Amino acid sequence: MMGWDSWKKGFDAWENTTAKHLETVLRSPLVLGPGGALLTAVMRSKASVDGALDSWWSALGLPTRRDQERALHALNQMQSRLIDLEETLGEIRAQQQKSSQG
Amino acid sequence: MTDAGKSDKRWRNLLGIVKRPKPVVGATPADVVHRENKWSLLRYRARPAGLAFATPVLLVPSLINRHYVLDLQPGRSIAETLVARGHDVFILEWGTPGPEDRFLSFDTITDQYLGRAIRVAAQHGARGKAHVLGYCLGGTLAVVHAAVRPERIASLTVLAAPVAFHDDGMLSLWTRSSRFDLGAMIDATGNVPWRLMQGAFQMLRPTLPLSKAAQVVDRAWDDEFLDGYFALEAWGSDNVSFPGEAYRRYIEALYRADGLMQETFTLSGEPVLLRNIKCPTLAVTFAHDNIVPEESAAPLIERIGSVDKERVHLPGGHVGAVISRKALATLWPTISAWWAAHDAEPVEAKAVELKPVVAKSVAGPKAKGAKAR
Repeated sequence: MMGWDSWKKGFDAWENTTAKHLETVLRSPLVLGPGGALLTAVMRSKASVDGALDSWWSALGLPTRRDQERALHALNQMQSRLIDLEETLGEIRAQQQKSSQG
Repeated sequence: MTDAGKSDKRWRNLLGIVKRPKPVVGATPADVVHRENKWSLLRYRARPAGLAFATPVLLVPSLINRHYVLDLQPGRSIAETLVARGHDVFILEWGTPGPEDRFLSFDTITDQYLGRAIRVAAQHGARGKAHVLGYCLGGTLAVVHAAVRPERIASLTVLAAPVAFHDDGMLSLWTRSSRFDLGAMIDATGNVPWRLMQGAFQMLRPTLPLSKAAQVVDRAWDDEFLDGYFALEAWGSDNVSFPGEAYRRYIEALYRADGLMQETFTLSGEPVLLRNIKCPTLAVTFAHDNIVPEESAAPLIERIGSVDKERVHLPGGHVGAVISRKALATLWPTISAWWAAHDAEPVEAKAVELKPVVAKSVAGPKAKGAKAR
């Protein structure tokens, strides 16, 4: 147990110091700048590949993935509007009940 | 337990770790009372003795986390604790966004969805209002909503909720980096993948996995610790992606423009002014929170217009200080007492007839199945 306890104390000290050093590194503009640029480059290439595939697909007259997503999103919005209406109707009914009781 | 006993138990538990049964999470019995798009509103079943308070409580977790962090394990559950104290507890489960939810706006989530959840919960109370508690980003959403639509909010409680985004934290620094093109990321990914966000959170302390492993070996003799650890790990790796358009607005208008502090942020076209929050407000901040630093969460209390407002600053981190056994014994009873003090007259205990809007109950391991829903 003594051996483990000593090792754990040493490990905790190492972990704490290393975490602080890594935080300094990750905060550095020398790391942040290129890291952000790399992520942006990867994302831009993915977007352009996806865009090219979509153009090819829509040239065949088929709905693209983005078209389908838009349609599904519109359906979800319609569902919300219907629930809004139900809610309004419920409030009106409640008011009518109140006034008829009063 | 003796040292020899601990050592023996430790090795037995470590050798059997792979076969260890999966932790039961989100086990407090609840019913789904509303469902819309991917989100649902759960209402926990009242204690047998009935409710003790007139005003329901709505818990709003972060948009990218499952709700069951607030209902982790039997005996270690915030929801269970609040139900046992006689509260009528509702919780919002945001669900898993589908690819089509890339178009979901911050306004839809904060105004329509959260607004509906508050109204549904509030209609079960005697005053037509609900106590709203937001945790992390859920707290920010609750704050934004309360500033513009205060009608149904009896009181506001926020735990580690960021409102000032130009802090010294690493997340703030990274998201404000000029070389990071937010638009390119959302165009490419639609919803922001949870793995990407989880990676960013892990970068906050890259040595954390090693530290956790050492802690598991150190405490492997303690079954209760292992159960809690694996339940928390199950939750920690069960994240959801962030709807793309909502994320764009969140980063641009809140992180980069610091919209709540600069008073430039809007909700459905209406200005979000923190000084318009007039309801009783309790803000809890944590000293060792590296996700939402104190300077990001603390300004809320200074800025709001409430007369009745309070900030509690506690030791501990972003998750541990909220769900630990110590928090269950001290923080949550304090919050419960604060709600009680801001409640109408306590109701006489009565049995509650539960009428789920969507007849599906979630209890036991199924609740974890927020994933499956």
